[in-house]
Amino acid sequence: MTDYFAFFGLPRHLQLDTAALEKQFYTLSRKLHPDRFAAKPLAEQEEALRQSSLLNDAYRTLKEPIARTEYLLTLEGVQLEEQSRAATDAARAAGTEKKQVAPPELLEEAFELNMQLEEMKMNKQMGDDDPQLRKDLEVAKANFEGMLATAQIELESLWSRWDAAVDASDDTAKTKARDGMVALLNRRSYIRNLVRDVNAALE
Amino acid sequence: MAYSDKVVDHYNNPRNVGTLDKSSEDVGTGLVGAPECGDVMRLQIKVNPETQVIEDAKFKTFGCGSAIASSSLATEWVKGKTIDEALAISNTDIVKELALPPVKIHCSVLAEDVIRAAIGDWKKKNGVETEAAAPAAAAH
Repeated sequence: MTDYFAFFGLPRHLQLDTAALEKQFYTLSRKLHPDRFAAKPLAEQEEALRQSSLLNDAYRTLKEPIARTEYLLTLEGVQLEEQSRAATDAARAAGTEKKQVAPPELLEEAFELNMQLEEMKMNKQMGDDDPQLRKDLEVAKANFEGMLATAQIELESLWSRWDAAVDASDDTAKTKARDGMVALLNRRSYIRNLVRDVNAALE
Repeated sequence: MAYSDKVVDHYNNPRNVGTLDKSSEDVGTGLVGAPECGDVMRLQIKVNPETQVIEDAKFKTFGCGSAIASSSLATEWVKGKTIDEALAISNTDIVKELALPPVKIHCSVLAEDVIRAAIGDWKKKNGVETEAAAPAAAAH
């Protein structure tokens, strides 16, 4: 498979000029447009179609920062779900406990936050449009959104560390940045769910 | 995506939701998560120290319908089993029982993980050794 960065002739950087990417996307889209291949042999038409679909996937993935990061991580050999299943199989074979991908304190934290949120939602369902509950939910929402914003800042700093490591061909630094991003994306998906749930509760 | 009837049933009527006393000697607690979707699953088991039979099980899961159904099913299955029997439950058994589609297999993996984690916690608390696992690990 052609990798999306290579498709656009880009280095595997995570800080990306999306305006330039968009421009390139439109240029290539025009070049690959079916109208230009209508009179060409079938094989060429099909190849253009294949390239055009690759272009769309590549653009969609790279323009969105989180999708871009996740994609880069898979290119770098990180397969969260597969890793998780393989670890389960290994644990069963060895008769031991599986080492969790997410650190225990993150799981504890996410579990606790979910419990609090559920309690607030249940109280709200009990009928009382208690202004205090609404306030609690608003506070929780602000807290989760703050956590998400912090995660974003941390992620951006990892992007620049990753890009610098790529430019320097520093494998140790690359691995460090990669592992940092994996941990952060894990944490982020818990926070994102909490934000989603608190918003649903406030509706 | 359509859920199977069994998933819907467990989702609407989850069995054994709740909490056991975490600090109790005969209670093992497992907490696992699938970070890629943000699910968290907690399973607690109450084990008879004489017979090593799991006498009670409670779960609490924050996640999608399949994750809730998988953990609900796990509590049903481990109850009345010895810990060794419970350790033999695999995610493929859960996938089969609930007819989970491929995109939801990670939920069944989570349920298997949580059984193992709860039993591991109980063993640790009670000083029960896990029998020699070295050959299996080496063969892997």
